[in-house]
Amino acid sequence: MLFVLDTMVSAADTTQISASSFFGFMGVTMALVLANLGAGYGTFKAGAGIAAIGIWKPEIIMKSLIPVVMAGILGIYGMIVAVLLSQKVKNPLEYSYKSGFAHMASGLCCGCSCIAAGFAIGIVGDVGVRGNAQQERLFVGLILILIFAEALALYGLIVSLILSQS
Amino acid sequence: MNWGNPYDWTAVEWQSATWGERFMYIDPYFWSYFGVALALATSIIGASWGIFVTGVSLLGSTVKAPRIRSKNLISVIFCEAVAIYGVIMAIIMIGKVQTIESYPENQMAQCYTTALFGGYSLFWTGVSVGLSNLICGIAVGVTGSGCAIADAQTPETFVKILVVEIFGSALGLFGVIVGIIQCSGASFLKDCL
Repeated sequence: MLFVLDTMVSAADTTQISASSFFGFMGVTMALVLANLGAGYGTFKAGAGIAAIGIWKPEIIMKSLIPVVMAGILGIYGMIVAVLLSQKVKNPLEYSYKSGFAHMASGLCCGCSCIAAGFAIGIVGDVGVRGNAQQERLFVGLILILIFAEALALYGLIVSLILSQS
Repeated sequence: MNWGNPYDWTAVEWQSATWGERFMYIDPYFWSYFGVALALATSIIGASWGIFVTGVSLLGSTVKAPRIRSKNLISVIFCEAVAIYGVIMAIIMIGKVQTIESYPENQMAQCYTTALFGGYSLFWTGVSVGLSNLICGIAVGVTGSGCAIADAQTPETFVKILVVEIFGSALGLFGVIVGIIQCSGASFLKDCL
């Protein structure tokens, strides 16, 4: 099935068969699934570090949960974009190919940014909590790096929201 | 377009369509929006890769040398700049995509090829910007990692290795410059209404 420019028929023709919703729903799924993959990676990688240090320094476990919380936020970004897009994807009779591709790109932007940010948060969080257990002065540096990593997902969310308006 | 509007083609026409025709009727909007997604997604993957590579070395070395913590955050900021290049290019490229409302009957081929031109230019702009930023982020990250470890041992090396990082971040700038030139000609509405 090829993706013929649907404005080659007149704009008023609403009887055309098209596959535009395929790409719209692909955007919904990619946003959610990839963001959750990133959130999951961040959670388990940082969680392994917390489990390792919690054995011999249990009093800093609650402070060390920050990477896990920040990774969870990525899943929320994915859910926001997925819910937003799923309300815009309609029946192919009313949904142009252009909107379908724009929503596909929107989902891919959010999903890929969140998975990248999740990897960064997980790996930095793992090493950071292990180091923080040995050196208290590390905490501020860890938080700053985690904030920079979270900002990546935010950039993806912003471009996603701009694309979803197309 | 030997047989009229390809939307009306039946299986008979598609059976004898050439590969060129099949490729040509892939929607230009697919190419443009996929280029936007590639530009952003690969830039952010590069930035994130750089952040975690440099972050682990920074945090690991700070355990034994806490003085290096704040100075070496500049490597993380260089990686973040790569992500911002991706966002800037994505927003520029989204601005280039316009909706074609209708086709002038006698100028259909011209209008469609202008749209194809726009689509192809945006797709390859996305690839160039995205892949340049990907490698730039990794380069800055690995260099920053070495910088943190060296700084922890010998403080004089910090500024010298920072110069290497600046050379690395120039790669992302090359990507943005070429990207802006590459997508400058994309105009969906030039020959259409």
